[in-house]
Amino acid sequence: MPILCIVGAIGIVVVSLFFYLLNTARKRTTPQTATTSVKKAFTPVYVSIADKPDSIMRGMDKFVAEVQKTESAGDKWRWIPMLIFLAGVGLMLIDVLLILLGYISFIFTAGGVLLWIAALVMARSLRKSDSFDFSPRYKGTKEILHTLRDDLKPNSTFLGHLDLTGAMLKTKVARETKDSRDRTTQYFRDEWLSLKAKLYDGNILRVSAIQKTKNRKSYMQRSRISGKYKTKPEKFKGTEHDLKVRIVVNPEAYTIVPSPAFRHGQSIGKYTISALSTENGIINVVANSPFDEVDQESILNFLKSAYSLLQRKAA
Amino acid sequence: MSKKIIPFIVAFVLICLVMVVAGVFAFSGAVTAEKFGSSTAWSAAYNTAESMKVIDLTGDGQDELFIQNSSDVSVFDGSGNRTWSFPYTSPKTTLGDVNGDNVEDIIVFYNSSQGMAVDTIVNGQAGTIATSLPMGTAARNALIRFLSGPEIVLGDSSGTLLAVNTSGQTLWQNRFANEEIRGMDDAKISGQTYFAVASHDGTVAVLDAQGNAVWQKNQEQLRRMRAFDLNADGNSEVITGGEYGAFFIYNAVDGTPLFTQQLGQAVSEIREVELNGDPSSREIIVGGKEGGVWAFSFSGITARQLWTGSLSDKVTEISGIDIDGDGKEEAVLGDESGSVAIFTENGSRNNLPSHSSGITRIDVGKLGNERYVVIADGSEVQTNKVNFSSIPGFRFTPLIVGLIVSAIILIIAAILASIPPKPEMKVSFVDKSKESLEAERRMLKESIADVERLRKSGEVTGDAYLSRLKRLRSDLADNEAAYKTAGFPIRVETIKCPSCGGTLELGMDKCEYCGQVILS
Repeated sequence: MPILCIVGAIGIVVVSLFFYLLNTARKRTTPQTATTSVKKAFTPVYVSIADKPDSIMRGMDKFVAEVQKTESAGDKWRWIPMLIFLAGVGLMLIDVLLILLGYISFIFTAGGVLLWIAALVMARSLRKSDSFDFSPRYKGTKEILHTLRDDLKPNSTFLGHLDLTGAMLKTKVARETKDSRDRTTQYFRDEWLSLKAKLYDGNILRVSAIQKTKNRKSYMQRSRISGKYKTKPEKFKGTEHDLKVRIVVNPEAYTIVPSPAFRHGQSIGKYTISALSTENGIINVVANSPFDEVDQESILNFLKSAYSLLQRKAA
Repeated sequence: MSKKIIPFIVAFVLICLVMVVAGVFAFSGAVTAEKFGSSTAWSAAYNTAESMKVIDLTGDGQDELFIQNSSDVSVFDGSGNRTWSFPYTSPKTTLGDVNGDNVEDIIVFYNSSQGMAVDTIVNGQAGTIATSLPMGTAARNALIRFLSGPEIVLGDSSGTLLAVNTSGQTLWQNRFANEEIRGMDDAKISGQTYFAVASHDGTVAVLDAQGNAVWQKNQEQLRRMRAFDLNADGNSEVITGGEYGAFFIYNAVDGTPLFTQQLGQAVSEIREVELNGDPSSREIIVGGKEGGVWAFSFSGITARQLWTGSLSDKVTEISGIDIDGDGKEEAVLGDESGSVAIFTENGSRNNLPSHSSGITRIDVGKLGNERYVVIADGSEVQTNKVNFSSIPGFRFTPLIVGLIVSAIILIIAAILASIPPKPEMKVSFVDKSKESLEAERRMLKESIADVERLRKSGEVTGDAYLSRLKRLRSDLADNEAAYKTAGFPIRVETIKCPSCGGTLELGMDKCEYCGQVILS
């Protein structure tokens, strides 16, 4: 019985190794979807922005190319670990042949195991050079920059950051609450996009896109029937998006006027305005979206709508 | 150091390691491809042999096969033909030269119609030398050639010893123990022959020609007792194996224990086998009731364990034969399930074809012109020609395997070195102009003020606040470094409100005092 267990364990390890190497060899080809969810993994990247729009966009393209270059350099060797695995099998078969001939030998098996370890090490290294897809937000941000570049004051820069390191990192836990059953719920606040731009018309535009996520942590619960403690897995409780827009209006160029198309409670694309203030020549807007993901079109539409509050002064 | 060199350095270290290990295996001779095979020369039906020996019983220089079970004593010639056969009731036999013609004879201690009796079979002629002996059921008998003359010592199942001379006259009787006699052997003390005997109740003794004890010991109940002069010093060692696993080597001179070890299972058989070919030390193979096999080497002072192995069932017989002609004997062991295995000097096990019933006896000898391993099981006796074959040069295969593995390691290192390092996942697109750096500085200050506001409002707390602040301050430090590198002076961190003149922190877009919008 113990021998069967050992053989079974070895078999599981070997089969696992085979499929690990097979999956390494068969490169991931899932197409990049237009939408994203918090559960899908993307390349964790943080971009500091303090440059002219063309330089930023060129830099972003170059960065993608560099990542793809690393990945494609590893791609052509992806079958090598599997071939090494098969070479190990070949060595082991020599021992099998010797045993069939009546000789006891394990030296080729030992060599085969070493080759398997080498194959595993190589496969892991190749997988490390793999990268996840870039988040659609990466491309979306580039399009926002592209759209706004002509509105930018000449020779000025976009400032801010694009944070695609993940919405549910420990460092993004804004607060935690506990319910009556001592279950902890975490509230994540991920300000994934922050942009400031001095515009051609003298206004200063600030945009912050924030994803707020709610997640209940795993906890231990005692079964009422058996009395045993069971671990309940963590539970994703939902996500929503905030868009904060602040426009410091150039008083020489504009006056702020109310607009029926842009008022509290108004839905604009995927967003609904939840707070609007136009005091002291500054437009402060906070909008919410219950959707899992918002695209760049929604953000740009919202910015365009915000300008309906401005009336150009006569020259 | 270039990152491309690191895989090659790691590969070099691994290759050295692999080749050193391969070299150790190759030059130590630990790796061999050897096998033992057997072919049956002849077999004959014979039920459950209790005693068996390949020996010359006719004096013609050719060995015969002597075999005995609970109802019969037979002799087969070298071709498997039964030459003699004598029916007996519950006989126990031993071999020895009774009549002094230098040819071994058979001595049979058995239950006759006239009570317990002793027969001798000399060259096929059976004759009774003693009857009506005052003894119980036969357990063991031995011919001991004392200095005063040969004695046939008989032991029964109640622990009684009785010695007769070769004419059948009783010499002495000794109520030695309370249980069955389990071992009899001749033992040397200063070159003189004495008699070692042991009972199942744990009594072990060496007796003289009159049946007087030279020494006597009591240990746990025992199953086997053998006496060998293991170091050829003229004094034998008495070896016992206990019912509960105690293994003892006593000095035959005074009964001093020279070596003891607990084996963990009842000892079912003990034999001497010259495993290492060095006559200055003798090796002892011990078989256990649960299939355990141990090899010990005795150097004259004490013993040491060489190796352990196992069979699948109770070890019933052990014998030694030099199969590959290297001057070292291999141990041939049989067990109660019918398995037969050969153990080499280093303890590696090689199986011979199994038998359908349990092995009862194994002996080795020359029958005709060939040396055979004779194996008796529950239903037949079988003579086997055992052969040995090996693959020449196989000991160097570790080097070949090591070279293959090393080549693969080198290829992997080359491939990994050719892959460019993954780019840093934190990228900055920063214009180094003075205006841009100032704007960035202002933005960072604003962001820090934002984060502080969020903390004060309770919207962001704990790790999230600290992490964001840390990142912004890091960016600010980078900005200042770029500022200094470009040779721009860093100005004070405050601005004046153009309306009321109040001092404001850099990055504020609305005066805290008068509410004036500041377009900076």
